[in-house]
Amino acid sequence: MSYTITEKCNGCGACVRICPADAITGEKKKIHAIDVALCIECGACGRVCPQSSLLDEKGAPCAMIKRSEWPKPEITVKTCVACGICIDTCPVGCLAMSEHPRSKGVDPFPCLKDAKACIGCGFCCAECPMDAIVMSKPVKEKK
Amino acid sequence: MNKPYMGKILMVDLSAKTITEEKIPDNVYKQYLSGMGLGAYILYNRIPAGADPLGPDNILGFCSGFLTGTSSFFSGRWTLVGKSPLTGGWGDANCGGTFSPAIKHCGYDAIFFKGISDKPLYLYVKNGKAELKSAEGIWGLDAIEAEEKLEKMYGPKAHAAVIGTSGEKVSLISGVCTDSGRIAARSGLGAVMGVKKLKAVVVEGVQRIGAYDQAEMKRLTKQSEKWVKFPMPLSLLPGIGMALMGTFLRLTTIMFAQDGLLYKTILRKWGTGGMNQMSIEMGDSPLKNWDGSNRDFPLKKSSKINPDIIINTEIVKYHCHSCPLGCGGICATKGKYAHTHKPEYESILALGGLCMNEDLDSIFYMNEILNRAGMDTISAGATVAFAIECYEKGILTKKDTDGLELKWGNTEDAVALIKKMIAREGIGDILADGSKVAARKIGKGAEACTVHAGGQEPAMHDGRNDPGFNVHYSVEPTPGRHTIGAHLYYEMFQLWKRVKGLPSPNLLFFKNSKYKINEEKAKASAACSKFMSMANGAGMCMFGVFIGIKRVPTFDWLNASTGWNMTPNEYMTIGERIQTIKQAFNVKHGIEPKNNFISARAQGNPPQKEGANKGRFVDVEKLAADYWKEFGWDSATGKPSEETLQKLGII
Repeated sequence: MSYTITEKCNGCGACVRICPADAITGEKKKIHAIDVALCIECGACGRVCPQSSLLDEKGAPCAMIKRSEWPKPEITVKTCVACGICIDTCPVGCLAMSEHPRSKGVDPFPCLKDAKACIGCGFCCAECPMDAIVMSKPVKEKK
Repeated sequence: MNKPYMGKILMVDLSAKTITEEKIPDNVYKQYLSGMGLGAYILYNRIPAGADPLGPDNILGFCSGFLTGTSSFFSGRWTLVGKSPLTGGWGDANCGGTFSPAIKHCGYDAIFFKGISDKPLYLYVKNGKAELKSAEGIWGLDAIEAEEKLEKMYGPKAHAAVIGTSGEKVSLISGVCTDSGRIAARSGLGAVMGVKKLKAVVVEGVQRIGAYDQAEMKRLTKQSEKWVKFPMPLSLLPGIGMALMGTFLRLTTIMFAQDGLLYKTILRKWGTGGMNQMSIEMGDSPLKNWDGSNRDFPLKKSSKINPDIIINTEIVKYHCHSCPLGCGGICATKGKYAHTHKPEYESILALGGLCMNEDLDSIFYMNEILNRAGMDTISAGATVAFAIECYEKGILTKKDTDGLELKWGNTEDAVALIKKMIAREGIGDILADGSKVAARKIGKGAEACTVHAGGQEPAMHDGRNDPGFNVHYSVEPTPGRHTIGAHLYYEMFQLWKRVKGLPSPNLLFFKNSKYKINEEKAKASAACSKFMSMANGAGMCMFGVFIGIKRVPTFDWLNASTGWNMTPNEYMTIGERIQTIKQAFNVKHGIEPKNNFISARAQGNPPQKEGANKGRFVDVEKLAADYWKEFGWDSATGKPSEETLQKLGII
């Protein structure tokens, strides 16, 4: 299954730029297309499209969401066993293992090293065998 | 997205500069899994008989594990396969780190290379698109420098497997490196990559790896994690306590079947180095080029390589992909390099006890420069030990060694010799291809000072202590390997708990019974070979499966990820098929299995006069015949019959 682009597309290229799988192609100002074999259903295109022209793998339309409101992984270090599955499964490489041990013990722990690069796909959360990751909407810090 | 394998491989022809994508039929995975199994299937069928390992017909394969990238634990190993220039037969090397999932995320289960390039190249694969690029600017760099440069160029998702300068210089004991100090070291396959002028394989991808039943995968993984974290009082012992346990094991006449939970505790606390002193004390570690004993390296000396001293330098644990145990570590070092991967047991003992070197700082240093050069620490250490013995016996003189005084315990000159081997300078050029080749070049009876199996130096586990090691060193299609089986391993795998028809060892037994040859021993050895061949197809870590087959449920993960619903015995048949095709590969390439037996000295011929293994002789010939019979191969020659090959669907 794959995401698809509808006729609403105006060819702005925002999805092409964010797609981590290089699955979207198309000329500027013309309708773009998704390569079914490459699409990994991360949903970044759906969240970024200003025309709401994307359908998800089940055919449901995707709504544009402000990037600052995209969900981000929160890691419960206590449950985490430092297996690194989340890091290797992340399609944009925004997670990394810490270079120092956690406050208790000797193991490292995964952390969101490049929060700006995170596309909120939730693959880390889905693959974590310890269920140590939850995806949550970032809470704005009060000034 | 409901299966754990990608169903495709890449075949790169370095002579013609072509890259071909090939689909692999599902039934091949059901017969061989991927990893080592898929590699053996491709190489057996495609390398022409008698091909020169350093010629264009040899195929070098980077194969990810079948379970890699699923939610299973301990499944992050990849296997490097090729015809070995060191042994002339089947070659493989196994490595952890993060490279295995990276291959799969590109959309392939394995990447193979044939041909020879006219100029240095590297392969870059991103999301299913592959291209060969000029290696100008990275050829000549050491493995860590090259990897850092490539990963800087391509970003955090790119993972590189590279050769160091030893691979470039076609040293027959060189390997392929990843993750700044992990290395697929054995079988000399770094030389194959070097001769092909392939500096690196860089993979970067996001393809997802599926599973038939993701919820069941996670349930099994959570269950196994409880055993990984199972608290054991052993973890409270200091390093010296382990040494004393080794002394006890040497002196006792009654043994107990060992449980992998003990070993996982050692790995968790210290890493493989936790065994340093214990192994020396109990007679597991060879010393002084297999001629010495624990008496030559008593507690006073071995306390300098006490595991507590090593972990004092550890900054943080290092976990390979999907490993909850973390036996690796990143250590702070003195001198030129600030950080280094914690030296492994094999490296410490090969560069330490085997050369009678007790200087831990020098071991850290040699380990790091060998990792950077991409040279196998086991073979390098063993070759230095060989050279020292030749020098002590007058076979090599100061003139031959360019002024180096190669004496037991002369650390400074041992380090200098390692540097020469890396640079292939003077005597180092002769030694850079391992002890067997060096002995042939030196002549003057130097062959008597070598300890090897089929050309490969065995690891730091003495088959005179655990005869199972001598069996596997001698009969495996990749001779000299310690990562397949032993009596100890059989006890820890606990296969009889899931596989029908396997003998369960007694909880308590007389030590002497270990050395008696019987049918049960052959059954256990064959089971180890089948299981580890299957596990190497699955990409499982040996240390993980040591915890026990019920606790680290490899068979169940395979079923949950595929929906195949096969029995443990059927999975063991997959292992049998992989083992047999590797043996058939050797026969096809003219290897006489008998010629791969480990050197007489390591068999205990003549027996040692003192120490833990005093008076022991292990009759490898008899053990091998029983082992071959267990596989249904010819018990006199070790060759699988056509009927066996047909029965397993190999031909």
